[in-house]
Formats: sequence, C-alpha cells, structure tokens
Amino acid sequence: MRKTFLMQNPSVLWFISLLAVFTIAVTLMSEATGVSLISTSFIKTLGKTLCLCLVAIAMDVVWGYCGILSLGHFAFFGIGGYAIGMWLMYARTETIVAQSLASQPIPPTSQEISDAIGNQIFGVVGSSEFPMIWAFADNLFLQLLMVVLVPGLLALVFGWLAFRSRVTGVYLSILTQAMTLALALYLFQNDSGLRGNNGLSGLQNIPGFEDTSQATISIVFFMASALALGAGYVFFAWIVSGKMGSVVKGIRDNEARVRFLGYHVESYKLFIFTTTAVVAAISGALYYPQAGIINPGEIAPIASIYLAVWVAIGGRGRLYGAVIGAAFVSLLSSWFTGGGAPDINLGFYTIQWTDWWLVLLGLSFVAVTLFFPKGIGGLFDYLVRKQP
Amino acid sequence: MIRLLVLALALYLTAPPAGFAQSLQDVLQTHRDEVLKPGRRSVGIVLDDLVASGLPQALPFLEAWRDREIVQRDSDGLFFRARKQSLYDLDTGEVIGVFEKNNLTASRPNGGVRRAIANALVQFQMSDPDIVKRRAAVDAVARSMDASQLEPLAASIDAEADAALKARKSRLVSMLRALFEDTTNARVEAINTLAGDLSVDVRAVLNKVLASEAGVAAKLPDNENIARVLEVGEDITAENAYAWLVEAELAPPLVSNAQIRDALLTNINSGMVGTLPVAALNTEAARALAYDQLAAEGLAPPRVKEAERANAIAEHVFYLAYTEPDPAITDAAQKALTAIETKVALSQTVDLGLDALSLASIYFLAAIGLAITFGVMGVINMAHGEFIMMGAYTGFVVQQFVPDYTVSIVVALPLAFAITFAAGVLMERLVIRHLYQRPLETLLATFGISIALQQLAKNIFGTQARPLTSPEWLDGALAFNDVIAISYIRIAIFALALMFLALILFVLKRTRLGLEVRAVTQNPGMAASMGINPDRINMLTFGLGSGIAGIAGVAIGLYAKVTSEMGADYIVQSFMTVVVGGVGNVWGTLAGASMIGFLQKGIEWLYPSNTLAAQTYMILFIILFIQFRPKGIVALKGRAAAD
Amino acid sequence: MSMLLEVNGVSVTFDGFRAINNLSINFAPAELRAIIGPNGAGKTTFMDIVTGKTKPDEGSVVWGEKNISLLGLSESQIARVGIGRKFQKPTVFEAQSVRQNLAMALKTPRGPLAVLMHKKTKKNAERIEAVAEQIGLYDSMTSTAGALSHGQKQWLEIGMLLAQQPRLMLVDEPAAGMTPDEREKTTNILKAAAKTTAVVVVEHDMDFVRRLDCKVTVLHEGAVLAEGSLDYVTSNQTVIDVYLGRAHA
Repeated sequence: MRKTFLMQNPSVLWFISLLAVFTIAVTLMSEATGVSLISTSFIKTLGKTLCLCLVAIAMDVVWGYCGILSLGHFAFFGIGGYAIGMWLMYARTETIVAQSLASQPIPPTSQEISDAIGNQIFGVVGSSEFPMIWAFADNLFLQLLMVVLVPGLLALVFGWLAFRSRVTGVYLSILTQAMTLALALYLFQNDSGLRGNNGLSGLQNIPGFEDTSQATISIVFFMASALALGAGYVFFAWIVSGKMGSVVKGIRDNEARVRFLGYHVESYKLFIFTTTAVVAAISGALYYPQAGIINPGEIAPIASIYLAVWVAIGGRGRLYGAVIGAAFVSLLSSWFTGGGAPDINLGFYTIQWTDWWLVLLGLSFVAVTLFFPKGIGGLFDYLVRKQP
Repeated sequence: MIRLLVLALALYLTAPPAGFAQSLQDVLQTHRDEVLKPGRRSVGIVLDDLVASGLPQALPFLEAWRDREIVQRDSDGLFFRARKQSLYDLDTGEVIGVFEKNNLTASRPNGGVRRAIANALVQFQMSDPDIVKRRAAVDAVARSMDASQLEPLAASIDAEADAALKARKSRLVSMLRALFEDTTNARVEAINTLAGDLSVDVRAVLNKVLASEAGVAAKLPDNENIARVLEVGEDITAENAYAWLVEAELAPPLVSNAQIRDALLTNINSGMVGTLPVAALNTEAARALAYDQLAAEGLAPPRVKEAERANAIAEHVFYLAYTEPDPAITDAAQKALTAIETKVALSQTVDLGLDALSLASIYFLAAIGLAITFGVMGVINMAHGEFIMMGAYTGFVVQQFVPDYTVSIVVALPLAFAITFAAGVLMERLVIRHLYQRPLETLLATFGISIALQQLAKNIFGTQARPLTSPEWLDGALAFNDVIAISYIRIAIFALALMFLALILFVLKRTRLGLEVRAVTQNPGMAASMGINPDRINMLTFGLGSGIAGIAGVAIGLYAKVTSEMGADYIVQSFMTVVVGGVGNVWGTLAGASMIGFLQKGIEWLYPSNTLAAQTYMILFIILFIQFRPKGIVALKGRAAAD
Repeated sequence: MSMLLEVNGVSVTFDGFRAINNLSINFAPAELRAIIGPNGAGKTTFMDIVTGKTKPDEGSVVWGEKNISLLGLSESQIARVGIGRKFQKPTVFEAQSVRQNLAMALKTPRGPLAVLMHKKTKKNAERIEAVAEQIGLYDSMTSTAGALSHGQKQWLEIGMLLAQQPRLMLVDEPAAGMTPDEREKTTNILKAAAKTTAVVVVEHDMDFVRRLDCKVTVLHEGAVLAEGSLDYVTSNQTVIDVYLGRAHA
C-alpha cells in the first residue's frame, strides 16, 4: 500500500530523496565530522530553517488545502517551544543548583532544591514560586507530552468553538489572530508563570549533555529536524492525497456542497486544524533548542502572518511549495537583515538593506499575490508542462 | 482666649481704632527678657500682646523673629532687625546702622518657639487684607491640620469677604473640629457636616478618626473601642494571626526551616548531629528529628508544634480597635465615610463611563473606515492601521511647518484626509481591484502593503515616538466634582466621532453617492446594469474609508504617541469592533465600538494594575461573543445574510 | 402507502417576507414529481428547509418509516439519512477530477477516520464507472471538473446525486442550459432513478416537465396552489391566472 502511495505521488519520493541527500551532505561538511566546511552557527540556521519548513507545511495544509487562513499557527509553534523550553530550563537549572548545593555541610532537602531552582528561574520576574503550569517540567516524558497536548487541546477547543458557529473566511482569520494576540499578551505578563517578556533562555544547553560540544548537538538537532520534516511531509502528503484530500479540498472550494454530500464539515476542519497545530508545536519544540531563547515576541500575530507569507510565496496547495517558500524567504530574510546583502549607492541615497528589506518583502508579497498566485511552486507547473 | 485676641485683631483690621498709640518697640520692651530668651511657655504672653496691639509692623517682626533675625543692642536693650550687615528699625523699617556683632545679642528662639511664632503668623495672615496671603495661610493650615489652628481659623470666617475662601475655611474648620473639638457632641456634629463631601482631604480626616490598631488578647477587652473582630482563616491568615501573637509576646516564635538548618550547622559533631549522620539530613522530617534532639539537650529553643500553634490561635481573639476611644465618634465617622464612599463609588462609575465613552469614540473613529470598506466591498484592509499612522504623521509634519497648534490641527485634519484618501484610491486601483472575490488574498496583499508602509515610516521618521501637540485650549479637564473629570481632548475626540457618525449617515442615507454605494453593496450586478459604475463606487468607498482613517490618525496622535507601529496597536481592536458590531452597518460599528470601549474600561477597572491582562480577557470575551452572535450585534437577516 | 417525506404546515419568514406559508406536501418512496411555480413561489426555500439549510418558524418535516423529524438534524445528517440535492447552479468541485468528484459522493462511511483510512476497492471503482457511464462522462473520468462544459457539469452533479444513492433526490432545474438532446438524456436518467427513488424536480421549462410525464405540484406564494397531472394543473383557472397566464403573456 505504501508503495502505491509513493508511486502515485512522485513528488514525495523526490522530496524525501533530496532531503536525505541534503542532510547527509551537510552532516559530512559540518564541524562535527571534522571537515568544518559549514560552521556550527550555520548548521543551526539550517536546522532552524528545516523546522520552519515543517511548520510551513502544516500551514499549507490548513490554508492551501483546507482553506482556513489561520493566523495562529505560529502561536502553536511557540507553545511547542515553550513546552520543551520549560523542561530544558528546569533540568539545566536543577543540575546547576545541585552542584552549588553539594558543597554545603549538610545535604539539601527537596524543598530547598526546589526553592533554589525557582529562585534561579523566576528571580528575574521577582518571584521564586513555581506556578502550576510547571508541574510536569521536571519530567522530560510528561513535558514532551505537553508539547503535543497543550497546543492540541487549545486548537481543539478553539476550533470547535469557531467551526461550530460556522465562522469562516476572513472572520475566522481575524478570530485566530485575536487568539494569537491574546496568547502573546498573556505571555508578556510577568505573572504568567513563564518569565514575562524575558522568555526562556539558555535552551541550547541540553541537560545531560553538558560535555558534548555544540557542534555535535547542532548536528544532532539538524538531523532530527530533517527527520521530522521528512516524516511530516510524508504524513501530510498521505493525508491530502486520497479521499481525505478530496474532501478537504472540497471544503476549501465549496463548504456547503460538501455538507450536502453528507460530510460533517466541522469534524474535518477540526481534524485538520488540530493535526496541523500539533505538527506546528513539534516543529517549535525542535526549533527553540537550536535558537536558544524564546520570548513572547516570537508568538506575536505578525509571526503567524509571516508564516502565511512564506506559504503564499512558495505556492500554496502543494507541500513542496510551502517548503520552498519557508526556506527561501527565511534564509533570504536573514541574509538581508544580517547585513549580508551589499548596500546600493544611488548617489543621492544609499539603500541599506537592513532598513529596506521589509519594504521589499512587503511589496514583493503584493506582487506575488497579484501576478503569481501559484507562487514559486507554480514554476514547476511550467517545467512539467514543457517536458512531455 | 486666642479667639478674643483674633477678634480684636479682626476688629482692628476692619476699623482701625485710634486709641492705640503704642509702638512695637514699647510692646517688646515690656517683655524684654521673653523676647531675648523665649521659652515654649513664656512666648505665649509676648505673642498675645503683639496680637492685641494690632500693629501692622508686628507681622514683619514675627517673620524676622521666626527667621532668627532679631537682635538686642546691649547698650540700651532696644530690639532691631539684623539683615545683610544692616540694622533696621522695627517700627519704621528703615536702616539705622550697620550690624556689629560685638555689641549686639541675638534672640535665638528654639524649634518649639518658632512653631508657636509661625502659628501666630498664620493668625495674622488669616485676616490679611491680601487674599493671596489669606489663601496661602489656609493652605498652610490644611497641610498641618493642627489643633491650635482651629480657633483663629474659625474666628476669621465671619470677616472673610471672599465667598469661595469662606466656604473653604468653614470646611477646614469642620475638619479640624471633627478631629480636635473637646466634646463628643461637638465632634459628632462636625463629622455630620462633613458627610457628602467627596474631597480626598475630608476622606483622609475621617480615616484619621477611624484609624485602628491590631490587637490580640485572651478575651475581647471592654475598655477599647473595637472596630471589628477578625475571624482567623477568613479575615486574617493563621500565619499572620500567630505572628501577632508572637509580636504581643503571647506565644513563642516559630522556628523557621532556616533556623533549624543554622542550629544543625552549628552542632555538627564529627559528621553527626545528635544520633543522625549529616548525610541523612536531606529531608525536612530528618532535620526536624535532629533539631528536636538538640532542643531536648537545651542547645536550641524547642519547636512550636502544629497543635500548639493552633491552640494558641484558638485561645485568643484577634481584633481591630479604634485609636479613638469614643464609640459615638467612630460610629458617626463610619457612617459619614460610608455615605461618602457610596457617593464616590457612584461618581467613579460615572467617571468610568465617561472614560469608556471616550475610548469607544476612538475605536469608532478607528474602525468606521474599516467597516465601510469591509461592509461595502467585503475587503479586509490590513493596511488600515497604517493609514491611521499616515494621518498621525501628517499632523506631525504639519506642525513642523505651522507653529500655531490650533491652525496646524485645522490644516492637518483635511490634509490627512486628502493624503490617506489618495493613498486609499491608489491602493484600490493598483492592488485590490484585481483581487475582488478573493477576500483572503486581499487580506494578505494589504498585509504586504502594511509591512512595507510601516518600515517606510520607520526609515523616514525613525523609531522614536514623535509628538503631536494639541492646542492649549484642549489642555486641562472638565471637572464635575472631585472624582468626575474628563479631559477636553477626549471631549473633542468624542465630538469628532459624533460628527463623523452624522456625516457618514448623511452620505450613505441622503446623497446620490450613498444610494449608489448601498446599491453596489446589495447587488453589484444589478447596480451595474442600472448604470452605476461599480468601479467608481468601489474606488470612492475605499478612498472614503481610508480618508477617515487619516482623520482618526490625527485624533489618536493628539493623545497617544505617534510611532510607526501605532497602526498595529489599533488594527486588531478595529477588526474586533467591526466583527462584534456586525458587518455593513454604521450602527453596528457604533454598537461594537461602545461595547468594546466599555468592556475594556470595565475589565481595566477590575484589574487596575494589569492592562495586559485586561486586553487578554477582552479578546477572550470577544472570541466567546462571536460564538453566540457570529454575525455581530447588528446582524443582517434572511437571504441577504447568506454569503 | 406510507410516505417517505411529509412536510406539514411549514412557514418561514425573512425580514417580514413570508417565503413559505403553511406549506404541506408529501412524497412517496418511489415517485417522480415536478414542482413548478413562478419566481419567489418558495421552491428553493422549500428545498432549503428539507435539506436543513433553513430552519422553519413553524411546522414539521418528518422522514421515513421511523418518522424522524428532520428539523433537529444538521445538513450533513440529513444528507446521510438519504436526501440528496442538486443545486440550481451546477456546483461541482472544479479543481478535482470527475472520478474524485464521484468518489466523494459515493455512498461510503462519512466519518473523518473512515475517510482517512479509506482504501480504494474494486467494487467502489466499478460503481463509480457505472455512474460515469450513465451520465456519459466515462471518457472524461480523469479530466478536472472545471474543464467540463456547462451541460456536462449538470450531468456530473446528477451523477454525484446518483452515486450518493439517496432515497430522495431534490433536483433544481436540471435542464437549464442544455441542448434538446441533452434534455432527452437527462429525462431518461431521472425517470430511471425514479423507479427506486423519490425524485423531485424543480423546473421552469414546461416542455421538460411534460416530457417527465409525472405528478405536478404548483407552488404559489409559499403554498401549494394545485396538484395533479400536468394536464389537470394547466387547465386549472387559478394556475393559469397566477402562473401560466403571466408566463404566456
């Protein structure tokens, strides 16, 4: 059965092969193998980009295939990051605290350890108490479960409320944006229990692997991200092909008609919304240990809109389009804003790309929407059409 | 006695009697010793005589005396004022020689005396012919609220010519009497006259009367004026209750975990504490066990057991007692305060309502343009916030060229409208026109424009906030009483919102353009076949919506900061307003703006210190609201509503 | 004979306009029925009520042998009990192939999990092909629905209706925009379906209705004006006054 699935979707096979070649090539050229053609920081950038590609695929499925322009999927991404960040920060602080308390004349009680950890983590917001939401932070397995459960439940409840009352189109987009804004504002508060606008930091230090070099850790995360992207690609390609894909695309094009065919449209939307939210959270959980820090600014509504921009530029309604868009725009963006692009001297004015990149992005986005609604992925249609 | 003196003084000031031929020097000479070495008691006599003399030169003398500038000439015992190396005659105020330290003795009144002098000065000033000085004197009394000021103040009321100051004086007298009158009846009477006064100082006086102290005893004392008995667990936590007991030395202090740890640390004996090895002391139970052993050996104070603590608390009663012993007075004060607080709460509600109203008008201004484009064209304009920003920056730029703030605002309003109108038309022609029937893509394309415009503004005007100064006549606030006040700028914004409501209703309901707009809204195809050019209508509608955003930008800029990101702050609220209100209806937008404005102020009132929480809860509420009224407050029904 | 669908005393009002006024109408399990009436007679609103798109203000809509009330069911539930609908304007999924359109309509479990785990079977493929054959789109199975002509889209939608295997088909203006030959074929398809299923056709075209050769219900101002054979209703004076008279004027 799997064989026929891959046979029927050659693009999946192509994608997986390319991803595998890319991953192996990058790994071989990394500092971890001693070749050192690619710096550790660039490996991290590549690993992060792969995670962004994964969340872009999720966005593409919910928007390009199901027609729900969610402006909240980056919030799920952020929740995944926060969930894993809580464990990373707790476990690491615990190690540090244990070391510092070990030199004391009498051994510390569990309460003293907990107080010391709380003080370390929450001192910055003037507190030392562990809030309720940190209840599972000491247990990697439970906290990994939280990575999936928290955004999953949030998406389930929000989606159920929204789809049940038949909020669609731009209304739904605005509503998801409001949800994202509410979440970001909540996290900005100092008493949110997640360190307010300080966010969680030091996430690049993996507890238990203090002696492993960042070069090795980065390559492990890079490979994990590649694996997750590959798995996510196959998973979503499987979902959107076949009958499920038919129904989902039908909902996108004419929701009422699908309903009159006897399909419970709300369940399908909820399934897609929740599944993609969970995948977004998983990619966030892989992204933030590579980024090292997460704060509420990452969750702000603008991030979710950028996600939609990537997918639109890459070409929605095709999974590889989302990957291309996310990789292309995010890498280009860091090249421009990082000062990589040369300034252009017009004689009377020098265009500094750090200032003008967003203007360029905004305008090119308008151009893509107007003139290339199929995005970069649309170019493949030309190639395929010319071949036979 | 003082009252009599002040009366005499007042009489003197109104009709100076001719009988007094005394000079100031004479008065001082009769109290020569007291003037030179004034004591807290003896100074009273001097002051009384000075006041009784009714001499106008007594006032500068008192000031000089307070400032330690009075000297006595050793040779003849006469008093002079010494200032900047010169000697002045006290009666004429003229210079009569130079200051020579050798043959002069300075009068050095101590702190208490100087206070008494200052009080006497107040008495003089209270009846000063100059109203500015009288006001200053009243202010001084209001600041110090001293018992001694009651009588001179009360005495000066009748002669007070200025009505406002007279009212203020009598109110101040009531406040002083409430605090310092001798008899219970008089104080209660004074307190009763204060009821109904909303000012903060009256509330402070009543709270001072009602000041209470925490108390704890085995049984409720009879000799104290009890404010209330505190229930442990309800009014006061068990921890706090026990802390009171410890403070009152009715119970031994608790031994904290830190103290246990310290005691253990000092008693480590070759790796053991008592019978326990140090390594085993990693639980609280083990530490407690070891500590108890130390306590049994007398090496540490014993721990207070949970049961002992509970017992101690149960055996005592915790209460608040008024410092004022007379229950009649505290009852009256309590009653007056309750009455005032009810009135204050009422006024605060009204004030909150006014605040909410002005917030609602801002939201209305920000959202109405969006509502028009959304309602008429089904187009979500994510760049609407940036049009608001453009309007605000237009105001800022105009103020760079037109220095007069009134003129600049008058110029800026139409200019902002023109600029954003043009920008809106341009955007409609270049982008939105090509995306009709694709609302989600319009949303994204306009978002692209939004980020480009935002960054452009950042590049031009920088990231720091730019001021947009309002004209002077908009400064200040309209105050209805001590609690209710609304700033003129908010009234202006409210008026602007009303104007635009009227204008838009007029355009939509009474003009040819409005008729065509409504026709295109309801059935574009039919409208086109009747000779209406939908292209033109769409263009004008979009221009109008954007133009209003520009005007809103100037208005918002006047009371908030102008930054490149200000549009983003308003866009979500504006969308909420439109969605909550119901699409395609001016009244819906008004209803939505009112609801969100009042809601936000209401939640802010519930969470005063946390505006972020207020916003979070408001958005959650709106998400839930959409569940119950997906089409907004003012919903279109029937076939028209079906897509 | 017990009725498949009984509509009793149904009324619905939009903003003061009474679109359906105390309407009562019944359908047998296997019959062909034509509904005619002037514009605004409430034909489409009647279909909306039966399929659950519009909730009536009063009245009852009772379905099947177990006498289930349709008023408490959602659109998708109503579709699942066996009511299929073809819209006035052909609505097929233009981005998908003819085969995918038919496969989506095919009577199979409708739950998300069942759909996700759905496997293509030979039996289903045969059913799809049979329907495609019936509507004359067998050769266009792989082309996208958007590429079909208007008449073909109409047939595809009728085909989707057939694939659904409903017990009641509501067909809104199936012959609109068709050539005489195509109409002939459409008539045959509907007549064949009516042997096992209740088929309700809303149509303006009198010739088409005549060709269907079935019981006719005339709607006017949201209520039944007359019912019977086409000859009977066309000779009815009231019908001539309110409908035919105007149509022929």
